[in-house]
Amino acid sequence: MLVFETPKAFKKDFKYSFCKGCDHGVAIRLIAELIDELGLKEKTILTTSIGCSVTMYDFLDLDCIEAPHGRAMAVATGVKRARPDKFVFTYQGDGDFASIGLAESLHASLRGESLSAVCINNTTYGMTGGQLGPTTLMGQVTTTSPKGRNREYYGYPIRIAEQVALCDGTAFSARVALDTIPNIRKAKAAIKKAFEVQLKGLGVGFVEILSTCPTNWNMSPEKAHERVRNEMMKVFPLGVYKDITEE
Amino acid sequence: MVKELIKGNYAIAQAALNAGCECYFGYPITPQTEIGEYLSLKMPAAGLAYVSAESEVAAINMVLGACSTGARAMTTSSSCAVSLMQETLSYAASDELPVVLVNVMRAGPGLGSIYPAQGDYYQSVYGGGNGDYRMVVFAPSNVQECIELTYKTFYVAHKYRTPVILLADGLLGQMMEPAEFTEYPYPPVDNSSWALSGANGREGRKICSYGPDEQKHIQHVKDLFEKYKLISEREVMFEEFMTDDAEFLLVGFGSLTRNLKAAVKSLRNKGIKAGMFRPITLFPFPEKRLFELAGQCREVMTVEMNMGQMYTDVRLAVNGKTKVSLFNPRPAGEWLSVEEITAAVEKSMEKVYAGI
Repeated sequence: MLVFETPKAFKKDFKYSFCKGCDHGVAIRLIAELIDELGLKEKTILTTSIGCSVTMYDFLDLDCIEAPHGRAMAVATGVKRARPDKFVFTYQGDGDFASIGLAESLHASLRGESLSAVCINNTTYGMTGGQLGPTTLMGQVTTTSPKGRNREYYGYPIRIAEQVALCDGTAFSARVALDTIPNIRKAKAAIKKAFEVQLKGLGVGFVEILSTCPTNWNMSPEKAHERVRNEMMKVFPLGVYKDITEE
Repeated sequence: MVKELIKGNYAIAQAALNAGCECYFGYPITPQTEIGEYLSLKMPAAGLAYVSAESEVAAINMVLGACSTGARAMTTSSSCAVSLMQETLSYAASDELPVVLVNVMRAGPGLGSIYPAQGDYYQSVYGGGNGDYRMVVFAPSNVQECIELTYKTFYVAHKYRTPVILLADGLLGQMMEPAEFTEYPYPPVDNSSWALSGANGREGRKICSYGPDEQKHIQHVKDLFEKYKLISEREVMFEEFMTDDAEFLLVGFGSLTRNLKAAVKSLRNKGIKAGMFRPITLFPFPEKRLFELAGQCREVMTVEMNMGQMYTDVRLAVNGKTKVSLFNPRPAGEWLSVEEITAAVEKSMEKVYAGI
């Protein structure tokens, strides 16, 4: 019996392009498994956005449109309003979703669009080489906060899952991590819920994934997951922040 | 069909519906707000998508998303807010998506004023976004053309998979005029070979502008310009008025050309052989015909409500064949009268006849 196989949602000839130890690979794998399990491949239109997350379209054998930086939730709104029978989700980084695209992200949530969104939070701009972003932790050294993030110069990081949960049109909002097997399982369950609320037409389903960026954090993959546990989870607690199916 | 008295903005809105517009995304700005108001009443009732976007940036990106599925989608806006859309128009050109944008011009730069002006010629015709791309631009001169060119805007956008602008101004948007809703005259366009619909029985499709392979990217930009060349050969539109024996040619676009025609008549009554040439497509610019006409004219005078933007294209088209001048006494937000245009031509002709 085959116990481990590549999800059918993956392209047959995909080339792994992320850095070693990056959590993008695990996140995309979970999404691909769910697309298989929920039988969504034939009706999915994926919206990627700018940053490392954009390369998702090189992995998955899905119909896909690339949004300009930050505009994924607006582009996805257009797709869904034009074709309400399709399954539409976005895959974005924290800079994309919660800095340049914060207005689009929150307003899509306020409108209660039937959309799902997965946001990778790695506390930095990965593709451009590790600059300060909206989720960079206090004290964190980046290439544009060389002495660490402080209040005087940079202000505070944003808690994305909580902000999305505050929007009345949000059906589900959760924060998960990929540092341990149990957490990976919880992450998959959360993404599944975020997909299902769209299928039921309940509103926005959102999952923020605390993720590693070993290259720009200058850490081994193992140390990077320790940082997720020891530093990120203190500021960004894991959990379900809104679930209207439980209320 | 009978003519009815209708405001330009409402004419554009109803024409979009007649053209099969399925989705509208917009944000209010004077002097085009009535388009969104009208559609907010009509579209939900007809089961069509109407979204009050949180910004013009969001609106144009919603159009991008809707167009990626092959849907007929539109946004409308004005000048400074159209500036906000430029990044996505560049994406739409590269993605080859049939984005429809109506710009009812204000007077710029900046917030400017809401009065009629033509300061967005460069932004529309040469593009305000990054990289090498062009957009087809239609410039109506009356409410009837607002209807007919809205039809054409949808058709050309979908036929060539390229963003198209309908460039009106505050006068056209706000004025009422008798017009007739003719039937949408164009055939449906098959988008089944490229539109996103889910990877059902085929490989997934990717619509993107991003390409790390530089050779493919170079070819992509060249292919875009092959398409623009084809559009230039097939879709150029212009109007001529009393040009057969014209020695003095007035050139203008949009609503202002109504007064150019009146000036031509007035000049003819005074014995001056004047004519008018009006590009209806600002891109593709009708350069061949203008070059031909320049050969028979002592002077070509461009009349614009800006600092001389189409003047650039007129000079390029005339290419030194005859004298080209510019009459633009008030570049931002005030109408030019028939009398002052006529006087400007007479003054210029005195110099021409005096050999100056």
